[in-house]
Amino acid sequence: MNAATTTPIQSDVLLPERLGDLTGLNEFGLAGELLSTLIGAVIVGSLILTMTAVAGPWAKRKITASFTDRISINQIGPAGIGIIIADAVRMLSKENIIPENADRPAYDLAPIVIVGSALLGFAVIPMGSGIQLADPEVGLAFAFAVAGIASIGLVMAGYASGNKYSLLGGLRAVAQNVAYEIPLVVTGMSVVLFAGSLQMGAIVDAQNTQTLVDLGVVSIPAWYALVNPFAFVLFLIANFAEVGRNPFDMPEAPAELVAGYQTEYSSVYFVLVYLGEFLHIFLGGAIISTIFLGGPAGPGPAALGIVWFTLKIWGVFFLTQWLRSAVPRVRIDQLIEIGWKGLLVLSFANLGLTAAIVGVIA
Amino acid sequence: MSTGTEPEVESELTQPASGTDEAELEALLGDRAIAREEHLNAPGFVINPNDVQAVLSDLRNEAGYDHLSCVTAQQYEDRYESIYHLKKFADPTDELSIVVPTTSENPVSQSAEPVFRTADWHEREAYDLIGVEYEGHPDLRRILLPETWQGHPLSKDYDQEKPQLVTLTEHQNPIQPDHRDAESDTMFLNIGPHHPATHGVLHVETVLDGETVADVEPDIGYLHRCEEQMCQSGTYRHQIMPYPDRWDYVSAGLLNEWAYARAIEDLADVEVPEYAQVIRTMGAELCRIASHMLALGTFALDVYGEFTATFMYTFRDREVIQDLLEDLTGQRMMFNYFRVGGVAWDLPEPREEFFAQARDFLNELPAKVAEYHDLITGNEIFQTRCIDTGVLEPDVAKSYGCTGPVVRGSGVDYDLRRDDPYGYYDQLDWDVITRDGCDNYARVLCRMEEVEESAKIIEQCLDLLEEWPEDERDVQANVPRTLKPDADTEIYRAVEGAKGELGIYIRSDGTDKPGRFKIRSPCFSNLQALAEMSEGEYIPDLIASLGSLDIVLGEVDR
Amino acid sequence: MIGVLKSMATTMKHALDGSTFTVEYPSTAPDVSPRFRGVHKFSQERCIWCRQCENVCPNDTIQIVMDDKRNGEQYNLHIGQCIYCRLCEEVCPVDAILLTQNFEFTGDTKHDLVYNKEELKSVPWYKDIDPLESREPDRGAWIGEGDGEVDYQ
Repeated sequence: MNAATTTPIQSDVLLPERLGDLTGLNEFGLAGELLSTLIGAVIVGSLILTMTAVAGPWAKRKITASFTDRISINQIGPAGIGIIIADAVRMLSKENIIPENADRPAYDLAPIVIVGSALLGFAVIPMGSGIQLADPEVGLAFAFAVAGIASIGLVMAGYASGNKYSLLGGLRAVAQNVAYEIPLVVTGMSVVLFAGSLQMGAIVDAQNTQTLVDLGVVSIPAWYALVNPFAFVLFLIANFAEVGRNPFDMPEAPAELVAGYQTEYSSVYFVLVYLGEFLHIFLGGAIISTIFLGGPAGPGPAALGIVWFTLKIWGVFFLTQWLRSAVPRVRIDQLIEIGWKGLLVLSFANLGLTAAIVGVIA
Repeated sequence: MSTGTEPEVESELTQPASGTDEAELEALLGDRAIAREEHLNAPGFVINPNDVQAVLSDLRNEAGYDHLSCVTAQQYEDRYESIYHLKKFADPTDELSIVVPTTSENPVSQSAEPVFRTADWHEREAYDLIGVEYEGHPDLRRILLPETWQGHPLSKDYDQEKPQLVTLTEHQNPIQPDHRDAESDTMFLNIGPHHPATHGVLHVETVLDGETVADVEPDIGYLHRCEEQMCQSGTYRHQIMPYPDRWDYVSAGLLNEWAYARAIEDLADVEVPEYAQVIRTMGAELCRIASHMLALGTFALDVYGEFTATFMYTFRDREVIQDLLEDLTGQRMMFNYFRVGGVAWDLPEPREEFFAQARDFLNELPAKVAEYHDLITGNEIFQTRCIDTGVLEPDVAKSYGCTGPVVRGSGVDYDLRRDDPYGYYDQLDWDVITRDGCDNYARVLCRMEEVEESAKIIEQCLDLLEEWPEDERDVQANVPRTLKPDADTEIYRAVEGAKGELGIYIRSDGTDKPGRFKIRSPCFSNLQALAEMSEGEYIPDLIASLGSLDIVLGEVDR
Repeated sequence: MIGVLKSMATTMKHALDGSTFTVEYPSTAPDVSPRFRGVHKFSQERCIWCRQCENVCPNDTIQIVMDDKRNGEQYNLHIGQCIYCRLCEEVCPVDAILLTQNFEFTGDTKHDLVYNKEELKSVPWYKDIDPLESREPDRGAWIGEGDGEVDYQ
């Protein structure tokens, strides 16, 4: 690989520090740091939640409609974008029906766990334009770890609802997450071998400071999706299974289990569960973008990083919707089989191969 | 039939074209045949209620009557009667009626269930609606009406005016089986009556062992609308025809209407003008395509989950047919287009426009079918989901009386359009599609290929209609305003509906309304096989199998 | 894998060509066929109160009340109960009852859907389509005599 041709777009200063400098909160010691971190978290959270708000009630419908030759929402606001507000009001004003057999407080906690685990993951994602809350040395491991907490939320939701469909959905969710978490992490490890670090910032920098091919006019950066497309595909598949998207949407499986673990949730709780799903898709997209697609890198000034990053995440989201329109759901036993007999083996093979190649180059 | 000994009129209809000699049958049955009857469609033998199993198994094993098409029960002033309408899968024109009379005081008859498994539900229905009891039946409960219903609605002494409040049995806990059984590791799961994949209000009582289906019991009757009773209280000439549209209500209306039209036209000896037959054939095949499109779309819905592209694409294509049918019949689904002796209208004016539209559709169809193959059947995940799931062996399918694409998907070459020709089918060039896979995939492919065959038929009908001389376009025969077939004439006639063999049994009682009107619904028989297909498989396969049976609850429950 | 990609290509083709087959219903009135059977329209001027429509109706949707001199007083039709089979139009010798193409009607209660003759008279034509023009009623077929005994009941 060639030497660095592009400047690192990864800012050294994290968002809370910059906010602290900007507002002067840094002078108030620990309390000030805490406050500026909180403000940073609010900014990042709002960004992500806005994206899910656009994705859930509006973009998903529009995308599905275009695949299915329909018109879909177009009445409220330009291109029906006002449906976001209308839907929010509608959902939140509904009665929150809690089943008699619900096991509380697990029933109440589950939606929060599902949403919280996804939001936590965004803390370590470098989104470009200097938006990153923290960049710990174990960043990637942290992201996987908190995203994995979601399966606890799913089991809690499934078990505590006191509904058999929910229970089946919850059980499927666990079986699926366990089966796919390992290939996911192992494939992620192969990236770590390349980058030599678990730190998200370092992984992004490693991809963008090197060039895969220099064609003179255009130089293609060494994004790991291009360096190791095999790992990229493996990771994509494992990720879709991990977040429960087609063709692996077993935990919900609308035709079979009504709505799986979320059958009994209504009103605010349903909004949370639904939100959690989208957050997990976006978190998955964020991790993929970060470790395979060069994070916030893209043409133009580094300040545009957040735009490129958002586009990449939406690209992954779009892919989930595309698959949803075209690919049937696999059966639960086939899903487990693909996980343990297929992906796991392939991901370890990929890891071994990558280790060998990296070792030779080094 | 009053005594059953004297031969009836119109015997030219009764002689089967080929097959078993009546003398041979007489010899086979021996003393067990206590009398003879003549139905318009078949010879009948009257037997003792205790000989049912022996007679039926002899007929199946020795004489080859392997298809128990329908079981009709009815009550006369002096007795109850069950009629077993037997056919051969190899030659459905070779029919035989086994008549089993029982006394009014003690209406007990031997069950045919050990011989033909399809008799299970058919006899339950007879018990439910008429009140004949079947000895040796494994599970003689009500099937269409609630467990606690009082009386048998189609029996003579039933007060049809009196409303009934249906309660649960005293102290019965409706969710008793729902509760945890300390002894077993299985879970009882109610799939339906409100569930995304039951295609209507079907309730499938399922016992699960993990994700594996241990036991399945479809519970039907939620959509029972007394269709037989309604037909019995309508006049032959006009008032019955609007109702068949409402049996299989998803765009298969004309096929259903044809079932009634065929039965009554043979009963009242009405000759239908050829031109009308061509229009009927074309309309019926349009309905078949629409129905198969819907079947494909909903099956995809069951396998893909959620609102998928496939579903919308099939609806888009079905919409074109609906527009054509609306132009032709005046309604999108509840056509009421057939009349006794013809159809209501000639093709819509301007005819050229109708032909052009229909031809446009036919021209685009191959590309669309190819697209479905790209989108659905070529998809490897779809194949892993469907191949070798929901397996229905040919023998089992026959025993359950399965017909239509379900049995053709199991490799049984049985299609009434060809084997028992009616309308204009025998003069057109088309093929019967069969598949040997016996699984969900085979059934889906079977339907998709049938769509292409139907298109062929429509194409030929359009050619015929276009060239038909203008002064010979008779759409209706000259039928008397009031039809009163001779008393005690009985007929059972079936047509190939979208889901299979749709049969109508009519007994006339000398008035302008039927004495007994029995509907043999293909979905009813096909649904019975669900347990056989899905036990031991996973829940997703159960859902897919249910989808591949392509049931319409309006027709199952009637 | 090729099959999966082919499926995805198929749906993407549909997404890209941008065509839709659904219609924006309330804003664009759908085209209905001239033969379509919608809400009934009644003409008292034409009606001869022969009660044939009441007789032929398969589910007793039409109710006619006459005084003792056989003058018509009421003509009630339950458009919620009607199955739109068009037998009443077909049987009417004077075209007094017609099924318009109008398919839009609402009622807060079942009772609202019981139309009396005034309401039936004021049912509008849908897009000014006169159903009679397209239907060319062939009354010869209806009053067929056949070869058998004729019963004028």
